Amino acid sequence: MIELDIEEKTYHLNLGPQHPSTHGVLRVLLEMQGEYITKAEPVIGYGHRGHEHMAENRNYHQFLPNMGRVDYLHALAYNQGYCMAVEKLLGITVPERAEYLRVILSEFNRIASHLLWVGAYLLDLGAFTPILYCFDDRENILDLLDRITGSRLTYCFYRFGGVTKDLDDEFIAGSRAFIKRLRGRFKDYDNLVTKNVIFINRARGVGFISKEQCLLYGLTGPMVRGSGIPYDIRKSEPYSAYPAFDFEIPIGDTGDVMDRYLVRLREMGQSLRIIEQALDKLPNGPIMAEKVPKRVKPAESEVYQAVETARGEFGIYIVSQGDVKPYRIKLRVPSFGNLSVLPELAVDTLVADLVAILGSMDVVIPEIDR
Amino acid sequence: MLKEKLKKALAPLDLAQVADGDYAKTGYHLEVAARPEQMPAVAKAMRAQGCFLESLTAVDLRESFTLVYHFSNFHELCRTVVHASLAKEAEAPTISQIYPGADWYEREVYDLFGIRFAGHPNLKRILLPEDADFHPLLKDFGAEAAND
Repeated sequence: MIELDIEEKTYHLNLGPQHPSTHGVLRVLLEMQGEYITKAEPVIGYGHRGHEHMAENRNYHQFLPNMGRVDYLHALAYNQGYCMAVEKLLGITVPERAEYLRVILSEFNRIASHLLWVGAYLLDLGAFTPILYCFDDRENILDLLDRITGSRLTYCFYRFGGVTKDLDDEFIAGSRAFIKRLRGRFKDYDNLVTKNVIFINRARGVGFISKEQCLLYGLTGPMVRGSGIPYDIRKSEPYSAYPAFDFEIPIGDTGDVMDRYLVRLREMGQSLRIIEQALDKLPNGPIMAEKVPKRVKPAESEVYQAVETARGEFGIYIVSQGDVKPYRIKLRVPSFGNLSVLPELAVDTLVADLVAILGSMDVVIPEIDR
Repeated sequence: MLKEKLKKALAPLDLAQVADGDYAKTGYHLEVAARPEQMPAVAKAMRAQGCFLESLTAVDLRESFTLVYHFSNFHELCRTVVHASLAKEAEAPTISQIYPGADWYEREVYDLFGIRFAGHPNLKRILLPEDADFHPLLKDFGAEAAND
């Protein structure tokens, strides 16, 4: 046998900032021992635009478009959170029909986000086909939303006191057709992905997150639900019209990558249930509150409002000092807390598994960077 | 009820305020005021009750800062806000040894406000470039540019 004079050394490897699996400009600085990661440090902030600073320099209405550009995949939830916080400051009650519209559109947006995640995640893992199916389905949602909101991605549709435009018959018919279509497609996703042995081997038993870690890092969304904690703001802290609907919170049991995948997949089905019920029960009435001040100037106070986005809890904290501009707005974004657990999960894994773990977090980088 | 349990756990800490919040108006069930040096003890008490750190931020009030900690719970709705007034140029103790998730939030507050957290393991900028020489959420940042 040949004796090799090999010196063991730790070395550094950059994952990103330009890497297909980081979905945006995220850099993970890895310290490696052979093929195994000994330390991982996410480096963020490449896309920092200063949304919180912008908020202090414009009035409440002018800040609305910013809310479509923080998490561009579930922009309507951000619209909703911000509008609800300002409505709380002003004491505005939103008409029931407007709440229903918000629920329908936000849920469609959630499904679109999850579909994109399934496709892009499988692409990370080396499966090319699913994204074609996902984009095909997602396109239907974008067409529906485009019809009502006028945009496909960076929505700015909700207003303080209601929504801009009412639904039309074509949207309702299109929605019902889509619900039927997507329900049929879940079988395809199961056959193509969920039961795929290559995917199962990549996803099962990798990236465990314990309940303790959920608590220590303040994780939210599918990250905690995958670990078996049924925490969903729509149920835990009901808002808008959600209490009127019957739906479940899917949870996983082991907290690995596979569980997070299954949670998201089942959530889409639950979102369809919510939309279907909302369409069935859609009340008549106005879509805007009657008395909404043109000049928004809340009294001196502060408010915290949380909503459930596709990635977890979006919390908005507004401090008003009685001015037309907010004194301070803090955006508590889910991906920021969710990503902060990565250094702990990455230790003693392979780079290929790190890609699987990182992808399963469904981070949206512009949301983290704000 | 979690709120009563939290009140009981916070009572021995000699805090300036532990009061019921007006949930409909502010989104808080419990409003607490503390001194920054009491925060590790508060965080320990919150963690012992199974609450997680929802958000940590600061507000620049010109004469002083206010550190704002939000806690929530996975199983029972009870949002607790803790306000801690901090003098300018003063340091606050870190709570990252109690909640590792606070590590990034404290780095963010340092980055945007320049507030230092004593005992933080890795207090460096997080969102802005490493060589930035300003803290953009200070109220006097950009004031000169606005006056031009």
